[in-house]
Amino acid sequence: MSEFLHDVLMKKPIYVPPKRKTDWLMRIGVTIVTVVCLLAVFGPYIGPYDPTRTTIRIAEPPPGILEIPGLLAEWIGGTVDHPPHWMGTDANGYDIFSRVIAAPRTDLRIALFANLVSLTVGVFFGLVAGYWRNWSTELIVRISDVVQSFPVFILAMVLVALAGRSATNIIIALAFVYTPIYLRLTRAEVLSQTSRGFVEAARAMGNSELSIALRHVLPNSLTPALIQSSVTIGFAILLTAGLSFVGAGVRPPTPEWGLMISTGANQIVLGEWWPSVFPGLAISLTVFGFAVLGNALERRYEKG
Amino acid sequence: MLLTYIARRTLIGVIQLFCLVIAVFFLIRLLPADPVSRLVGLNSSEEAYIQAASQLGLDRPLFEQLGIYLGFYPDISPGLLQGSLGVSWTTSSTVGSEIAIFLPVTLQLITLAFILAFALSVPVGMLGALHPGKAADKGVFVYSLFAGSQPEFWWGLLFVYIFYFQLGVAPAPLGQLSPMTFPPDPVTGFMLIDTLIAWELGKFIEALHHLMMPVITLAFILSGPIIKMVRQNMVRALQSDFVLYANLVGLPRKRVARYALRAAMGPSMTLIGILYGFMLSGAVLIESVFSLGGIGQYAIRSVLAFDYPAIQGVVLIITAISLVVYLLLDLLHATIDPRIAY
Repeated sequence: MSEFLHDVLMKKPIYVPPKRKTDWLMRIGVTIVTVVCLLAVFGPYIGPYDPTRTTIRIAEPPPGILEIPGLLAEWIGGTVDHPPHWMGTDANGYDIFSRVIAAPRTDLRIALFANLVSLTVGVFFGLVAGYWRNWSTELIVRISDVVQSFPVFILAMVLVALAGRSATNIIIALAFVYTPIYLRLTRAEVLSQTSRGFVEAARAMGNSELSIALRHVLPNSLTPALIQSSVTIGFAILLTAGLSFVGAGVRPPTPEWGLMISTGANQIVLGEWWPSVFPGLAISLTVFGFAVLGNALERRYEKG
Repeated sequence: MLLTYIARRTLIGVIQLFCLVIAVFFLIRLLPADPVSRLVGLNSSEEAYIQAASQLGLDRPLFEQLGIYLGFYPDISPGLLQGSLGVSWTTSSTVGSEIAIFLPVTLQLITLAFILAFALSVPVGMLGALHPGKAADKGVFVYSLFAGSQPEFWWGLLFVYIFYFQLGVAPAPLGQLSPMTFPPDPVTGFMLIDTLIAWELGKFIEALHHLMMPVITLAFILSGPIIKMVRQNMVRALQSDFVLYANLVGLPRKRVARYALRAAMGPSMTLIGILYGFMLSGAVLIESVFSLGGIGQYAIRSVLAFDYPAIQGVVLIITAISLVVYLLLDLLHATIDPRIAY
C-alpha cells in the first residue's frame, strides 16, 4: 500500500535502476580486462624491445602525435635503424612501451593469485564459521577481525619487506590482507542460507551435514565473493604498484607499473613526464576496468 | 546509557588493541628478517653482531621480549604499561616522541582532504540521487567509480607536473614549507596551527600553499566512495515514509530534500570513519610524493630498516586512532539521527 501511495502521490521519487539496451559501461570494463589479460600472456613477447634490457638512448622523449604516422611508415618500410620508442625511454634507457605492455605479466599475475588464494581460504573459513557455529569457529571470526583492523598498507609492507621482496611474498601478503573480506562476505551469506527451506529439505532427505554444507550451501553462497573478486583484483593491482612505489615491492628491473612510476617520479619535477605518465595511465585504466566489471556483475546478479 | 555504551566500546577497543599488539609482535618476529645484520652491516664481526643483538634484547627468549615490550619488567626498560612505545633501533630516540612529530602531519593532511571531499561530494551525490536514472546521475555514477579506483600517487605526480612544472602555480613537492623557510616552533605539531600560534601569517599561507596539492589529490580519490555512498543513502532516504509524509503535507521540494539529506548523512558517518582509519596509513603514498614527512613515511622508513619497536608503535597508534574515530562518528551518527539510541 505504501509503495502504491508512493507511485501515486509523488512525482518521481522511486529509484528505477537505469535500464539500458546495451550496458556500455560493462562493455568498457570487459574490453579493458580482456586487453590486460591478453597482455599478461603475450605482453613480454610483442614489445619491440626486451623489457629488462637497457638501450643506449637515455631519457628520450616520446614522438609527438603528429610524428607518429611518419615514424610508423618508416618503421614498416624498414628505413629506421632501431624500432621507435613509442613512449620514450626512461632515465636508465629502458623502452617504456615494451615495459608497459610487459607489466601485466607481473601485476595481473600477483593480483590474480593473491585473489585466488584469499578467495579460497576466505570462502572455506567463511563456510566453516557460518555453517558450524561454536567457540572454535567464533575464534576464526575474531582472528579475522584482528587481521582486518590492521592498517592494510603497512601490514602488506611489513610482510613483504621482512619476508623478502619477491612476487611470491607479495602474493602471500596480499592474500593475507584480503582473506578476511571473503571470510566475512561468505559467512554472512551462509548464515542467511542455512535457515532456508532447501537446507531443511536436504537434511530431511538424509544428507550428511558435510554434504549439505559443500553441495547445497556453498554453491548458493558464492555469488558475493565472486563479485567481490573483480574489485579485489583491481585493488590488488593498486596495492602491488603502491608497494613497489615505496620500495617494498618487486625488485628492478622487473617490468611493473608501480616501479616504473617510481623510477620516473624524480624526473617529473624536471619536466620528464613520460616515464611516469604512461605506466600510471595503464594502472588507472586497468583498475577502472576491473571496478566497472565488478559493479556491472553486482548489478546483474544481486537484483534477482 | 550513553556512558555505558562508550565504556563498553572502549573496553572492546582495548581488548582489540591488545590482540593486535600481540599479533604484530609475533608476526614481525616470525618473518625471516635479520634486523641485527641490517643494523651492524653484513660484514661485521661475530662479536659485534652478538653485542648488537644483546643491546636490542633480541638474545632474550621471545616471551621475555614480549614481557619487556608490554612493560612487565620496568626495571629493564619501560613498556606499554608504563606508557612507553619503546626506543627506535635506528635513531635511539623514543618511538612515542617520533610519532608525535610525524602523526600531526598526516592528521592535518587527511582531515583537510576529508573536509574538502565531503564538501564536494554531498552536492554531487545529491544531484545524482534527485534525478535517478538521468544523464546527470549516470555521469555522477561513472565519476565516482572512476575516482574510487585510481592510483593516487600517480595523480599526485601528474598534478605536480601540470601545476608545478607547466603552470608554476603550485610549489615544488618538497615538504610542508619551502626548504629555505625556517619552520615555527612546534607547539602542536600541526603546521597550520603552529604558524598561527607564532603569528607568522606568511608562513601560514606558505603551509597552506604546500598542502593544496596533496589535499586536492586525496580529496579527488576520496570523493569516489563518498559520492557513491551519499547518493545511495539519499536515494534510500527519499523513499522513506517521513519523506512521503513531508511531501503529503506539501512542504517545498527543497525543504524535503534537506530533511532527506540529514537522514542520509547518518549512515554515511560509518563509512567516513572507516575511510578515515584507512587513510591514516593509506595517505602514505601521497606523503612520499610530496615529501610531507607524515606517519606513513615514518612507517616506510621503519619497515625498510627493520626497526621493530617503531613498526609496532606505528601500527598500534594508527589502529588506536581509527578505533577512536569509529566511536566518535558512531556517537555523531546518534546525534544526527534521533531514531538511533544507545
